[in-house]
Amino acid sequence: MKVSFNINGEQKTVEVSDGNSPLLWAIRDGVGLKGTKFGCGKAACGACTIHVDGNAVRSCSFPVRMAEGKEITTIEGLSNDGVLHPVQQAWMDEVVPQCGYCQPGFMMATAAMLDKIPNPTDEDIDNNIINVCRCGTYYRMRKAIHRAAELNTKKNNSESTQ
Amino acid sequence: MKKNTILFTMITFLLIGIITIGSSFSDNDFAIDQENNPLTAPHFDENESKAAFDKMMTVLEHKRCVNCHPSGAIPRQGEDSHLHNFDVKRGEAGQGLAAYSCNTCHSDQNNDYSGVPGAPHWSLAPEEMAWEGKTRIEIATQMMDSKRNGGRSHEDIMHHLTEHELVLWAWNPGVDAEGNPREKPPVPKDEYIQAVKQWIELGAVIPSE
Amino acid sequence: MTDQNSKNKPKSKSRRSFLIKGGIGTLGLMALGTYVFRNPMRRKMYEMTETLVVPYSGTGTQANLWIEFTKDNTVVLHSPKVEMGQGTFTGLAQILADELDVNINQITVKAAETATGIVDGMSTGGSLSIAQLWQPLREMAATMREFVKSEGAKKMGVDVSSITTANGILTSGTQTLEYAGALEGVTEFNLPSTPELRPLKEYKSVGKPIKRIDLRPKIVGDPIFGMDAEMPNMLHAAVIRPEHIGSKLKHADISEAEKMPGVVRILEYDDWIGVIANSFAEALAAKNKIKTDWDIPKVWSEETLRDYLRVGQGDKMITQKSGAPLDPDGDGVVSMEFSSPIGAHAQLEPNGAVAHVTDGKATVILSTQVIGATQKQVAEALGFDMENVNIVGTYLGGGFGRRLNTSHAVKAAIMSREIGQPVKYFFTRKEEFQNDTFRPPTHHFMRGKMNDNGQLSALEHHYASGDVAINALIMPSVMTSVLGTDVGAMRGGNIMYANLERRRAVQWHKTLPFATSFWRSLGLLANTFAIESFIDEMALNAGRNPVDFRLSMLGTDEHQSRIRKVIEVAAEKAGYKEGASGNRAMGFAASIDAGAPCAQVVEVSVEGDTIKVEKVICAFDCGLAVNPDQVRAQCEGSIIMGISAVLHEKMTIKEGRLYPINYGAYDMALMKNSPRVIDIHLIQGVDHPLPVGEPPLGPIGAAIGNAVRRITGKRLTDLPMKLD
Repeated sequence: MKVSFNINGEQKTVEVSDGNSPLLWAIRDGVGLKGTKFGCGKAACGACTIHVDGNAVRSCSFPVRMAEGKEITTIEGLSNDGVLHPVQQAWMDEVVPQCGYCQPGFMMATAAMLDKIPNPTDEDIDNNIINVCRCGTYYRMRKAIHRAAELNTKKNNSESTQ
Repeated sequence: MKKNTILFTMITFLLIGIITIGSSFSDNDFAIDQENNPLTAPHFDENESKAAFDKMMTVLEHKRCVNCHPSGAIPRQGEDSHLHNFDVKRGEAGQGLAAYSCNTCHSDQNNDYSGVPGAPHWSLAPEEMAWEGKTRIEIATQMMDSKRNGGRSHEDIMHHLTEHELVLWAWNPGVDAEGNPREKPPVPKDEYIQAVKQWIELGAVIPSE
Repeated sequence: MTDQNSKNKPKSKSRRSFLIKGGIGTLGLMALGTYVFRNPMRRKMYEMTETLVVPYSGTGTQANLWIEFTKDNTVVLHSPKVEMGQGTFTGLAQILADELDVNINQITVKAAETATGIVDGMSTGGSLSIAQLWQPLREMAATMREFVKSEGAKKMGVDVSSITTANGILTSGTQTLEYAGALEGVTEFNLPSTPELRPLKEYKSVGKPIKRIDLRPKIVGDPIFGMDAEMPNMLHAAVIRPEHIGSKLKHADISEAEKMPGVVRILEYDDWIGVIANSFAEALAAKNKIKTDWDIPKVWSEETLRDYLRVGQGDKMITQKSGAPLDPDGDGVVSMEFSSPIGAHAQLEPNGAVAHVTDGKATVILSTQVIGATQKQVAEALGFDMENVNIVGTYLGGGFGRRLNTSHAVKAAIMSREIGQPVKYFFTRKEEFQNDTFRPPTHHFMRGKMNDNGQLSALEHHYASGDVAINALIMPSVMTSVLGTDVGAMRGGNIMYANLERRRAVQWHKTLPFATSFWRSLGLLANTFAIESFIDEMALNAGRNPVDFRLSMLGTDEHQSRIRKVIEVAAEKAGYKEGASGNRAMGFAASIDAGAPCAQVVEVSVEGDTIKVEKVICAFDCGLAVNPDQVRAQCEGSIIMGISAVLHEKMTIKEGRLYPINYGAYDMALMKNSPRVIDIHLIQGVDHPLPVGEPPLGPIGAAIGNAVRRITGKRLTDLPMKLD
C-alpha cells in the first residue's frame, strides 16, 4: 500500500507491503531520514520518538497506515532553516550528548513536553522524560531542559512583541 | 481537547459500567421492557442471576481488565500485573502525561511488530474506578454506585460492556514483546456477553457474597 | 597533498614513524621468553597491568597517514581510535591543534578505515585512547608542522627559521601562506625528525573545556552511526540466532517465511539463519514466520549458575599476597559475603553491519571497538587476504565493551557474498539482550581482622568471576596462559591500602556457559563494592570515622599519596558527616583503577523501600585533563551508569534463557534516578593524561551501600541493592 504524509514540511509518499509495519522504517529507509533511531523496536527506549500532529509518538510502535495525511516532525525538522530549536540550542549549550544515539529521541520528547508544559519542574521532567540513555547524560539533560524552557520563553516573548 | 474529554467520559463509562440497583428502579431512563423487569419477570431465578454475575466478574477481574483499572497512579501490565514499565503515570485524564501519553506507544490496534497492545481510545479508568486489589463484590458495588459511574443507564452500560472495542480487546489481546500471545479472559467472549446481558436483564443483582 | 576524498597512500615513503613501545603483545612475547613464571613475578606483572598505561600498538604509524591536509586548508585526522561517546575525537583534535598550529575548527576527525593502513593493534577500550595517543600524536603533529614549514619555506623562498605558524598559516615577515598552499604538489613525504615537543604551559587548546567537535551532528540527527550506513542496491536482513544457552539449531521450517512479501532469500547455516528482504520490516515479519527446533543439551537456571560460580571453585590464582593468610575461623576474624549479577551492556545502538562482498573484495561498515580484529575475522571467514577486506568504522551508539568482538560483521559479509548485493542487518533488542557478551556475575568473600589499636591489620578479598579478559578476542591467549589469571576480572580486585600488615587477594575463575566479557570498568565495579563495603563495616565496628579509617591504612609513597589526596578532597568538598539525619545519610568509598584514583561521597535518601541518590561528590585524579569538560562528562556518565548497575540492573537465567529482553523490564537508571547534584573535583596528580572513562565507576556502589547502612542499619551485600 501507499501512505502519504507531510514530513518536516515536505509531502512524501512511501510504499509498504504491510500497513501495520512501523512508521520508523518508512521514515528511515523510505524517506531516508536517519535521525530517528531504532533502539528497541518495542516502544521502550524512546530513541525513535517523533511528533505526529504535534504529539510525541514512538515511531517503532506506530503503524505506518496511521500516518496517512498526518503532519510528522523528526529531529531533522526540529530546527528551522538552520536555526536550531531552543531544545537543540540548549543541548549545544550544555554539551549534552556523549555517544549521541538516544539524543534525538530525548530532544523530540522534550520539545513535545515544552509545548504543553512551558516551564517544567524537576518532577515534570522526571515523569515526562522517560527515555533511556546508556551513557548517563541525564544530569546534563536536566540542565538543558531547564535552559531550553528559558530560551523558549524568551523566543516566544520576542515573537509576541514583534 | 473538548472532544477528548467527551470521548474519555464515554470510555470511562464503558469501562466501569453499571448503575446501582437502588437507582435503577426509580430511574426514568432505565428503559427495559416490563416483561424483563426482574421484579415482575416470571422466570427470575436468583441462582441464574448469580451464575451470570460470577461469569461476568470472572472476566472483569481478569488482568486484561484490572491492569488498566489500577489503584495508584501507575497502570499494571503483563501476565503478572507488574507496575507498568518506566512507571508511566495516569495523568489527569487517564491518558498519560504531556510528553508521554498512552498514545505515544499504544495505537488503535495491537502492534505485532512492537508487541505493544492497542485498541481505540486506549486509556486508564479513573482512580475512583480502581479495581486493583478489590473483590468482585467490591468491584460490582463500586460499578453500581451512581456517584462513581456517572449515573449511566443499565442499557447503555450493557451495550458498552458488550460492544465497546476497548472492552472486547480482552479477547483479542495480541502478542507481547517476545511474540507470545497474551492470555485471554477464562470465559469465551460470547458467553461473557450473554452473561452480562442476562445479569442486567435479571436486575443486576449483586450477590451478598 | 590530496583532495578531500583520497588519502595519503600507506606506501608513501616515510622516515619518521613513532616508535611502537610494546603494548600487551610485547608483554606476551616477553612472558613467552621466560615461560615458567614464579608466582611472585606473576604478581608483579599483575601490579603492572593494574597501573600501567599500555602503550599504543598498531600499524600505519607514519604521521602522513594519520594527518591528511586538504585543499581548503583543513586537516583530517584518521584516528585508529573510534568515537563512542567518550569524547576522544575532541581530545585528539585538541592535541593535534596545539602541536600542528591549526585551529580546532579546521580539524575533522574520522575513524581510520583499515584501507588507510592505520589499524589499532588492540581496541578502543580500557579508557586508553587519549592516554595512549598523547605522546605519539603530539610527536606526529609536531613533525608534520616542521614538514609543512620546510615545504613552505621552499615556496616562499625564505629560510625555514623565519617562519612562524598559527591557524594553519605560515608567516614569514609580511608573507603568508596557507598549509594547503605549502603542500601544493607535494607527493613525497620525507618527514624530518621529530622536534622537541612544546612545554605544557604553551598549549592553548589542551586543558581547556572546549565543546565537543561532534556536538552539532549529534544534535541535528546526522547519519553518523553504523546503523545509519547504506550502500547502493542494499538489501536488508534479519537473523535468527540461539535463544537458549548452549543451544544448537536442529531444524528450521522456512516454508511460510519464504512466501512473505519482500523476501529475497533465506540462508540456513549451522547456528544461524539469515532472512534477506527488500526492507527491514519485511525481513523481520518473515523471520517471525520461521519455525525452529533447537537442541538444548542443558537447561541452565539462576540457581545452577550460582552454584557453579562460587569462591572456592574453578581455577585459583593468588593475585596479591603479603603476609600469611587469615584463618577464617580464627579469633576476631570477620567475614562477609558479596555478589553481583549478570549485567547487560544495553548500549542503545544495536549491533549490526552493512557489507558488500564482490570481486574478491569485501567492505564492511559498522560500529566497532575493534576495527583490526574485525578485519581479520571477516578475511578468515571469507578466505580473503587482509588487504582485500576494508573495515569502515563509524561513530558508535555506545560501546561499553560490547563491541570488543564484532564477529557479526562476518554474517553480513556472508549474506552479501551469497546474494551478490550489499546487505545490512542488525540485532533486534531481544537478540541484544539474549546474545550479549555479558558482564559476568561475581561472588566474593571478604575477611578482615583488627589489631588492638583499632586498626585494620589484615584484609583479604576472595573473588570468583566468569571470563572478562580470558577468551577475549583482543587478549593474546599466551597472556592468559602465562599470567594464569583473568586480568579483567582482577581490575580493582587487589587491595589498594598499603599500610596493612597482611593483605591478600585470591581469584577463582570459571568460564561460564554463555559469553561474558568486558563491561565498562570490568571487575572494578563489583570488586570495589565488596572491598569498600567491608572496610566501611570494619570502620563502623571499630567506631571510627570511615574517612580517617581509610587514610590510616594508606602508605606514603607517590601512588599512595595520590589515593590519599582524592580521599581528602572528596571528604572535604562534601563536608563528610558521619551518621544518618532522618532518612538521609552520606556514604564514602574510594578506588584506584589503571593508576587513576577516585573517591566519592554520596548523599542518599531512603523512602519506603526506595533508595535514592540525591547528590554525588567525586574527586578524581585523572592526571592531565586534555578536556576537563569531557572528563567531567565521563565522571557523570560513570556515576549514573554505576547507579544503574548497583541499584537497578540484573539479568536472570530462566529455563535456559537470559531475561529480560527489553529496556524497562531490564530496569535501568532513568532521568528520575539521576542525582540532582553531581560535583566533580579534578586533581592533576601526574602531568600526562590517564584513563578516564572507567575509574569513576569504582566507588559508587559501596558509597551508596555505606549510606544505606547508616540510614537503615542494613548492610546490603548483593547487587543490585534492594531494601525489602
